[in-house]
Amino acid sequence: MALKQPTGQKRLTNIAVIRLKKGGKRFEIACYPNKVTSWRNKVETDIDEVLQSHTVFTNVSKGEVAKTADLKKVFDTDNHSEICLKILAKGELQVSEKERQANAESMFRDIATVVSDKCVNPDTNRPYPVTMIEKAMKDLHFSVKPNKNTKQQALEVIKQFKENETIKIQRAQMRLRATIPAKEGKKLREKIKKIATQIEEDAFEEDLEMVVLIDPGVYREIDDLVKHDTKGKGKIEILNLKEIEEGDEKLE
Amino acid sequence: MPLFFQCYNMKRNTPQQVSSLQHNLSNVRNICILAHVDHGKTTLADALVASNGIISQRMAGKMRYMDSREDEQIRGITMKSSAISLLYNKDDKDYLINLIDSPGHVDFSSEVSTAVRLCDGALLIVDVVEGVCPQTHAVLRQAWLENIKPVLVLNKIDRLITELKFSSTEAYVHLQQILVQVNLLTNELYTSEAMGKTSAVADECSESKSGEAQSYDWTTLEDEEEDKNIFFSPDRGNVIFASALDSWGFTISHFAEMYSKKLGFSKNVLTKTIWGDYYVNMKTKSIQKGAQFKGKKPLFVQLVLDNIWSVYDAIFIKRDKDMIEKIQKTLSLKIAPRDACHNDARVQLQAHTSQWLPISKAVLSIVCDILPSPLQINEERTEKLMCKQAQRFDSLPKETQALKSDFLACKSGDDSPVIVFVSKMFPVDKKILPQNRQRPLTKEELQARREKAVQRHAERMSKLKVDEESINGTPIQDVNDTGQEEEQNDDNQVFIAFARIFSGTIKRGQTLYVLGPKHNPATASHYIDPALCLKDLSSHQHITSFTVNNLYLFMGRELELMEEIPAGNILGIGGLEDHILKSATISSTIYCPAFTSMYFDALPIVRVAIEPKQASNMKAVTDGLKLLNQADPCVIVSVQETGEHVIITAGEVHLQRCIDDLQERYAKVEVTVSKPIVPFRETVTLPPKVDMVNEAIIDQNQPTKSNRLKQFEDDDEVKEEGIVEIFTPDKTCLIRIHCVPLPKAITELLVEHSDLLKALHKTSKTDDTENILNSTAVQNLIDFKSKIANVFNQEHKSWKDACNQIWSFGPKKTGPNILLNRIPDYNRPSVWSCLDTATNSQTFRDLDSCIINGFQMATFAGPMCEEPMHGVCFIIEKWEYLNSTSNGQIDDKCESSSAIPRKRDVYGPLSGQVMSIVKDGCRKSFETQPQRLVAAMYKCEIQATADVLGKLYEVLGKRNGRVLSEEMKEGTQLFIVEATLPVVESFGFADIMRKRTSGLASPQLKFSHWEIIDVDPYWVPTTEEEYLHFGEKADSQNCALTYMNNVRKRKGLKVEEKIVEHGEKQRTLTRNK
Repeated sequence: MALKQPTGQKRLTNIAVIRLKKGGKRFEIACYPNKVTSWRNKVETDIDEVLQSHTVFTNVSKGEVAKTADLKKVFDTDNHSEICLKILAKGELQVSEKERQANAESMFRDIATVVSDKCVNPDTNRPYPVTMIEKAMKDLHFSVKPNKNTKQQALEVIKQFKENETIKIQRAQMRLRATIPAKEGKKLREKIKKIATQIEEDAFEEDLEMVVLIDPGVYREIDDLVKHDTKGKGKIEILNLKEIEEGDEKLE
Repeated sequence: MPLFFQCYNMKRNTPQQVSSLQHNLSNVRNICILAHVDHGKTTLADALVASNGIISQRMAGKMRYMDSREDEQIRGITMKSSAISLLYNKDDKDYLINLIDSPGHVDFSSEVSTAVRLCDGALLIVDVVEGVCPQTHAVLRQAWLENIKPVLVLNKIDRLITELKFSSTEAYVHLQQILVQVNLLTNELYTSEAMGKTSAVADECSESKSGEAQSYDWTTLEDEEEDKNIFFSPDRGNVIFASALDSWGFTISHFAEMYSKKLGFSKNVLTKTIWGDYYVNMKTKSIQKGAQFKGKKPLFVQLVLDNIWSVYDAIFIKRDKDMIEKIQKTLSLKIAPRDACHNDARVQLQAHTSQWLPISKAVLSIVCDILPSPLQINEERTEKLMCKQAQRFDSLPKETQALKSDFLACKSGDDSPVIVFVSKMFPVDKKILPQNRQRPLTKEELQARREKAVQRHAERMSKLKVDEESINGTPIQDVNDTGQEEEQNDDNQVFIAFARIFSGTIKRGQTLYVLGPKHNPATASHYIDPALCLKDLSSHQHITSFTVNNLYLFMGRELELMEEIPAGNILGIGGLEDHILKSATISSTIYCPAFTSMYFDALPIVRVAIEPKQASNMKAVTDGLKLLNQADPCVIVSVQETGEHVIITAGEVHLQRCIDDLQERYAKVEVTVSKPIVPFRETVTLPPKVDMVNEAIIDQNQPTKSNRLKQFEDDDEVKEEGIVEIFTPDKTCLIRIHCVPLPKAITELLVEHSDLLKALHKTSKTDDTENILNSTAVQNLIDFKSKIANVFNQEHKSWKDACNQIWSFGPKKTGPNILLNRIPDYNRPSVWSCLDTATNSQTFRDLDSCIINGFQMATFAGPMCEEPMHGVCFIIEKWEYLNSTSNGQIDDKCESSSAIPRKRDVYGPLSGQVMSIVKDGCRKSFETQPQRLVAAMYKCEIQATADVLGKLYEVLGKRNGRVLSEEMKEGTQLFIVEATLPVVESFGFADIMRKRTSGLASPQLKFSHWEIIDVDPYWVPTTEEEYLHFGEKADSQNCALTYMNNVRKRKGLKVEEKIVEHGEKQRTLTRNK
């Protein structure tokens, strides 16, 4: 073991450590904070902006460099730079502050965008702008969970909005046309009426033909209902995925 | 103080007095004050108001009585036009002068328009130090267009003495120059109008071949002009020299009168000669020409300016007591001792000058003498008011033409029809209305109140003694009470119509028609439901009726209630909120035409999005915006498709006022203002032929392919560029999608006829053509179809027969993207099927609608930044079911085996799977092509003078604008520049433009088209030359990338940007040991 003397040291500051356990050994490399995700996203291409030194350590904070024999055994090479790249790609790291912040922020925005996309103001039947949703989410003290996907969280937000009545909000409705043979028609008609939020057309001639507005959340339910109960004879056609007011309007 | 109040009440003109004067039309003047910002409009108005004893002489010029808004007082600029009625006695005749003070800032030129419309004459003020400014030009043009007569006031002459230290001769030359400048403007206006007229006449002649012999030519026009006396000249008496701050002002005739006695010249001679190159020859006691040539002092300097200079010199500069006394004696002024001893020289000076040459007298006598009374309304103005620009007066219905005589007569008798023009609606607190105002209390009442107060006080005192804790209780209660009262009052916002009556007499209890701006007497129906108000009207109705309830007289900040008001006056009408949006005509006959819309100098162009700070206040903001829209003639409020509320204002100052109004008056909640969201579109293009340094790309497909396809190399779904084959997750269905750019002509056609597509979409939804579409629409659609077919045929042969293969349009089934059906064994009816009368035998496959919906979703949000696509064509080339025997009948199987339902549960219903693979496939095939952003473009028309053209181009260039044309306007020095500007860059554009060009260039923006930004947002240098030119990282800004990243950031999508640019330059967190 090398003698540790102050003159022989080169102190590194601001380190983000990446660890990789392989072959029963632990290897570490020293990187700059906030840079590793950029590298992994292939946004950063300059390796020297990411690595503090092209050395593989067993312990960065103690300054212990990995033994060549170990490297050879585990990685089949003793080229530090090459191994660094491998560790950089696969090792685990603690996400640093700015990365986490950027992530949370973009996720928050994304959730707001999804909510704004899926919902309308029931008074005007127009969507809320994203910034409004963001504000309302802040009023709600909604916190982003980084390990859940945005769509799930967006649905959660909508639910909370409805409970707390922060803003008047409603899922944008879906317009469907269901064609059901006469035999099953009677039975299904009532069931569909229960699920749908609004029935626009309801014609019972040879077949039952209904045009209804539904909440997008119950689409699968209604689809199952029509297809199964009619043994595949019923048909569902989506007329409009999102019923919203279109075009600009002058307020007068 | 009580003394002051007494005289205030005494001199104050009572409504009775005013109303009696209103009937004597020849003694009524409706005038407005126009000028550039800070040239002294409101100060002059103050001086005039002071002459009526409404405010004290001392306060005149400081108080700015007409600026009643708080922000007006704070900012020191006028933001709205306000009116006041003044009395003036001249030659034993009482005159009623309705004065309107207007704002001078560019942003509020709409207020100027509304003021000018109501007046017959105007006072045009020019600051002699600043000279003619851009707004001077603008207001003069407005006055000119409305045919009203201006009088020039050269203001702030005191600054020539005190600030610029001019000698009297220098000042004279300076004044002359300014006069020339103003007259130059008038001339310019005149010539441009004259040229317009001649060309219009020429057009008319060429159009109507019957050829009425119209011998309009230059000479006749010029002769007419001579009669009009359009130019300003002191000897004509239409120029006033003044200093509104020191409240003095005079005209030539004033001095002429004074000196005709002293010097023994006749008054007429003096009036003609004081202004001009004349001097007094003392030896011969005669006035001779050629002062300048002989080096003599011109008369104006000698007789007029020297006197003023010596007064200023004595009082203001030298503060010479003896001299002051001498001046007082010669001018026989009586100065109150408290003014004479005042420490501030300015106060002393004002005391002298305001007595010597009172400005109010100078101005008001000129107004009475020169400006026309309402009776003198001329034919030209009447016709201009009555018919719209393109329309000719003879084309109006007979009954309407007959009204012209009523206009001209301006009679207030009961038999003449009532015609009132409302130029704007403005909000007033209910508290201010006269019917709600607190009246002065009588003595008895005061006594009673006093007693009560004493009683209460005693009670409280006793309570105090009893229980000390109750102290806290009582005041709090009091506070609550007042709070509630205020809240109640807050809701009481009333709109009053700012109007002028042109004919007849308007009385309380009268029922009149309100005619909207689009009303046309020729087509209007005769039956009007009295219960209707504006909201209930359909788009072709423009008439409502209402009963006159409250009539007001404007008294500056206050209103006086009137019983009736005769023709020729300016008035306020209450209770019209539900009937008038911004402006309207009120009449007793529906044959009255709607008055032509006003000429607005500044069109609204500054767009911002408005949001409540608290999300729950949304409704208050929407309601507030509606009120704002009604109150301001120059604001546009709209809701975007994104749900944003956008207001468009004339400029930044105007915007600020609107926001303040909204927060404090209309919505009463805090709002935030932000950049509005700017939409983009996404598209694909053909691979470029040259690279970024204009080198031809030699092997055509290689470089682009390697660029774009690199990330898809290990993706086996991508077959080749633009072609994707994709399976449903349960591997039952295979779809092959090919993505290609649409020919430009087709895209344009589709954008242009989006309404037709909408109609088409509607019909295909119901399957019943005749019910929804009338025959013309069907014909239009058939034409449209053949047009598209034609264009397709002219294009490359790969588009052959594409028209009949169209499966759907997108997004929203109406957009400029096409889904083509080129599946060999699927002969599906095209979108046009509903147009064919012959019934078609072809049928839809199952899940047909899923493909359409997948396509709709893909085109609605593209892969670049989730914006809709534009001009992209997706071709479905294959659609196969792999483990089903018969195409399309997939659903039957789920019953036959139990394995499949379980599988279904994993992946969801097949319809959903198809939808999502179509969407993903479209996006993927889109991504394999060279992608481009499409930006919305404004067409930008800028009027500017020649000397700011350079600055103008600089601003345009910085904002990625492109100049289309540049022309000089005939007869003026103005250039008209046409340019296109991306909408994203337009935020703050108008403001910057005005700032950089000192207001001499005024842009107007209008949405014009979508344009592909010809920069690849994903571009990185590849060839040697490109590396050389751009460097390895391509550091130079890629504007398409910036736009795209901004949108992505806004939407919370992943942005390929480094969080930290330089790893080493971050803050050191641990100390170096």
